[in-house]
Amino acid sequence: MVLFSFLYITMSSSWNIIGGYGGFISIGHNVFFGIGAYFSGFIYARYGISPFYTAVFAGMIATFFGFGVGLITLRVKGPSFIISSIALLMIFRTLFDRWELVGGAHGITLPHNNLSVEWSKIPHYYALLVLMVLSILLSWYVRHSKFGLALRSISHDEIKSEVTGINIKIIKVTAYAISAYLIGAAGAIWGDYLTYVRPNIFFIILIAANMVLMCILGGKGTVTGPIIGTIVIIFFNEFILANFGASELNIFFTGLLMILTLLYFPDGIIGSLKKRKLLPGFLDWD
Amino acid sequence: MLKINNATKSFAGILAVNSCNFEIEQGTISALIGPNGAGKTTLFNCISRIYPIDSGEIFYWDHRLDLMPTYKIARLGIGRSFQITRTLDHLSVTENLVLHTAGGIGNHLLLPAITRENKLKADEIMEFLGIASLGEMDMGSLSFGQKKLLDLGTVLMADPDLILLDEPAAGVNLRLLEDIIDKLVTLKNQGKTILLIEHNMDLVMEISDEVIVMSAGEIIAQGKPTEIQKNAEVLEAYLGSEA
Repeated sequence: MVLFSFLYITMSSSWNIIGGYGGFISIGHNVFFGIGAYFSGFIYARYGISPFYTAVFAGMIATFFGFGVGLITLRVKGPSFIISSIALLMIFRTLFDRWELVGGAHGITLPHNNLSVEWSKIPHYYALLVLMVLSILLSWYVRHSKFGLALRSISHDEIKSEVTGINIKIIKVTAYAISAYLIGAAGAIWGDYLTYVRPNIFFIILIAANMVLMCILGGKGTVTGPIIGTIVIIFFNEFILANFGASELNIFFTGLLMILTLLYFPDGIIGSLKKRKLLPGFLDWD
Repeated sequence: MLKINNATKSFAGILAVNSCNFEIEQGTISALIGPNGAGKTTLFNCISRIYPIDSGEIFYWDHRLDLMPTYKIARLGIGRSFQITRTLDHLSVTENLVLHTAGGIGNHLLLPAITRENKLKADEIMEFLGIASLGEMDMGSLSFGQKKLLDLGTVLMADPDLILLDEPAAGVNLRLLEDIIDKLVTLKNQGKTILLIEHNMDLVMEISDEVIVMSAGEIIAQGKPTEIQKNAEVLEAYLGSEA
């Protein structure tokens, strides 16, 4: 559960850069998760170089790819952008399901590390911890930089932003690419953790939907919102699973939690508490 | 300083701006007036290239504005406001101002958004506009009049040489109007060039050095305020012809 929390805080904080600050709701952002996992997994399986070494490059590949995709998809916004992000995910799912070089639908099976069972997950724990801290720092930095202010401006009014001298195209695409970096690196580590990389694990909409829901629940566009949203959803999910077993009830209750939260906290937990001036100082990083 | 040569813009075959020609001198206040639908705001949007023109040329000194993207035009030192204030309500007042930092926020993007330097400048502008102490408030919580003043403030933040103001006095009370007039005259005295769209004729006649009149997308008159007041074509455009 801790590993899962680290992973999702990394991903939701990264997603928050383009989705929260930039206002572009991408429901295909786990494409970068898959790209990172496949890149490092393929190199590990073929050349024996551990994903712990290649995760940095997996992030770069995801960023590079994000830049290219952003140049095309960020021309549109709102529902059109959301649909384009889902289409991107579907294209990747189909592509990797059929790409024999990377195992097609069976994916790539990765070797286990040489550590004993009780220690085998420790490297993943620390790697994901580092990625989580980096993602929070990156989110904080973006939030307080000129770049972040430009991005937040663009999210509400592109024309107004442009007449202030902001090159909106570059800002949007760069934000999209930056948000892909740590998600790609996390994919590399997560693939090694699972010891397999498959399209039906990495290219499913549920992963991106989780990132979005965690941000919205916690408060998108805030630094601490994705952290709180992730913790609430994961702990809530685990609580339901522990008490009601592995049924579909956890999905039902998570949906209910979302509805209730958005009814009473329309700007997410952090955003709404801040608006009502009830947010404790240690959670206000904006 | 600003020269419009045969600028034409149409929407679905309807000419919104039709072969417009005029020139603005540096350090002056010029007013662009005309009945509703005359094409004034469209012309503003063509100058800042929110709309590309269909034909003609727009020069700012030696720069062809009609060939530049909007953000580069802003970075040349041309600031503008909008008829309906386009403030960013989810940002604080200070953030709204800082966004317009001189040279465009597009420079030095990795620096902190609010530095001591630009915060001081934002405070100075709020002081100048008589709305000091609002800095930390959300823009969305301000009144219409305050937003109108801040709209002018955001333009000033960039310290532009040419200021395009779209109905700065629309919907503001008399007291605020006097403030706005004072600010515009002060800016002119500081060497700024102002081109404004305005329906308030008292304001136009009081502060303008030059008045340009548009009707149905065309420039129908240009001259000193006193000349324009007596121009028969202008009177006809505003009041209609006698049957």
